[in-house]
Amino acid sequence: MAQERKLKITVDHDVCVGNAMCETFATKTFALNEDRQSEAVNPQGDPLAQVLEAADNCPVSAITVEDAETGERLFP
Amino acid sequence: MVTAISDNMFTDEAINDPYTYYGSLREEDPVHWNELYQLWVITRHDDLVWLTRHNELFSSAVFKNDPRPPYPTIYDSDLGLYEFVREYQSRQFIQHDRPAHLDMRKVVHGYFTPRSMEEWRPMVKDVIKDLLDEAEERGSMDVMRDFATPLPLLIIAEMMGVPKQDRPYIREVAEKLLYVGRGEPWRMQNFSEGIREMIEYVTPLVEKRIVDPEDDFISVLARGEREGVFSRDQVISNSSLLLLAGHETTINLLCNGILSFIRNPDQYDLLRSDIEGMYVKANEECLRHDSSVKSITRIASEDVELRERVIKKDERIRWFISSANRDPRKFENPDDFDITRWPNPHVAFGAGIHHCLGATLVRVEGQEAFKAFAERFESLHLDTTEDQLEYQPSITFRSLKSLPITWN
Repeated sequence: MAQERKLKITVDHDVCVGNAMCETFATKTFALNEDRQSEAVNPQGDPLAQVLEAADNCPVSAITVEDAETGERLFP
Repeated sequence: MVTAISDNMFTDEAINDPYTYYGSLREEDPVHWNELYQLWVITRHDDLVWLTRHNELFSSAVFKNDPRPPYPTIYDSDLGLYEFVREYQSRQFIQHDRPAHLDMRKVVHGYFTPRSMEEWRPMVKDVIKDLLDEAEERGSMDVMRDFATPLPLLIIAEMMGVPKQDRPYIREVAEKLLYVGRGEPWRMQNFSEGIREMIEYVTPLVEKRIVDPEDDFISVLARGEREGVFSRDQVISNSSLLLLAGHETTINLLCNGILSFIRNPDQYDLLRSDIEGMYVKANEECLRHDSSVKSITRIASEDVELRERVIKKDERIRWFISSANRDPRKFENPDDFDITRWPNPHVAFGAGIHHCLGATLVRVEGQEAFKAFAERFESLHLDTTEDQLEYQPSITFRSLKSLPITWN
């Protein structure tokens, strides 16, 4: 089931090390780019719980998740 | 390009000052064929990042996939011991490629999230306080013996669920396992003895957790066995790996970091002037400037072209964190110890899918350690002379033998 709430997901490329765990936890949301760093290619791709799990499992805390409409910070 | 740089990585010069030796390679021959060890030596930051993020081109299953004898040469009579070493090392999750590596990493990864490691911060702070109180009472400290070793050893023992009284024994065995990165022709004797002792020590702990899981890390690995990801031998091998990796590299970070502050008192004063604002950045700079791990190995999974050289399938590679973290193409004034450096894209923990599992724990320990020194001591001084400082002759670890200091 895809995510209903509109999310704004950012990956800080100054710190992303390409560990690729986000891609494992939220397979439709994250993908590695040409430089093998993570991009949120489809913020509505997975249920919120999976996106939050992906963000939590980032070993360098590179992922921020917000509600795109209200701006509410969902992670961290 | 032919370089005049010696291929012997165990000379006093290369061990004492890897930055000059590997720095010369980085500038003159960044993808260097080391004829002596039959090995590609990679030294630039961008190459290292590219290589670590292209795990499909470079296998981590080095012990399993490299049929050649180890470098430097070992005694022929020890080749049987080496087979035993290979088999044991091959069971470690870090010695696997995808897809097996992903299944294994998923078992252990969740334990080490930044958020769950925060829960250990209060204990880390308490241990640091006790160790520094004791040192102050004594009035002297060998940072290696009295601080940098007991801190991470106590934390990893707690995490693994290992009895407190066994810590000295674990360190004793760990010191034999460190022969993995050494050059002596007889090193397999110490290394294999350490492996045997570690297996013997860990096996009953694992057997207990299989039947009766607790909330420690050995139980996490044991769950991996129940889920069919790990074999029993792999649980034992990975428990041993975590016991060793969980403290050795932190010891080096703490010693090398304190030494950097002693050599750069202006940076220590700067940290003391704004501890809360600086301690996270300071720890990152310690990780970069004199990294605990000097190098990591891979083996080419296919022919790969890099800087007009062709690394052929099955050839051996060793990439050097020590030189990548001092690459002037990536870092301004790379040899300067500058705790204001930010962002600090060092590769002390590697990168890609094999990025150090314990990085989150090491960060908590390093941050709190440097912070505690800065809060407590106005200035730090060597209690020996610079020429007395000695490093272990390893190409894997940057390990001081001791670091006696005084303070004001």
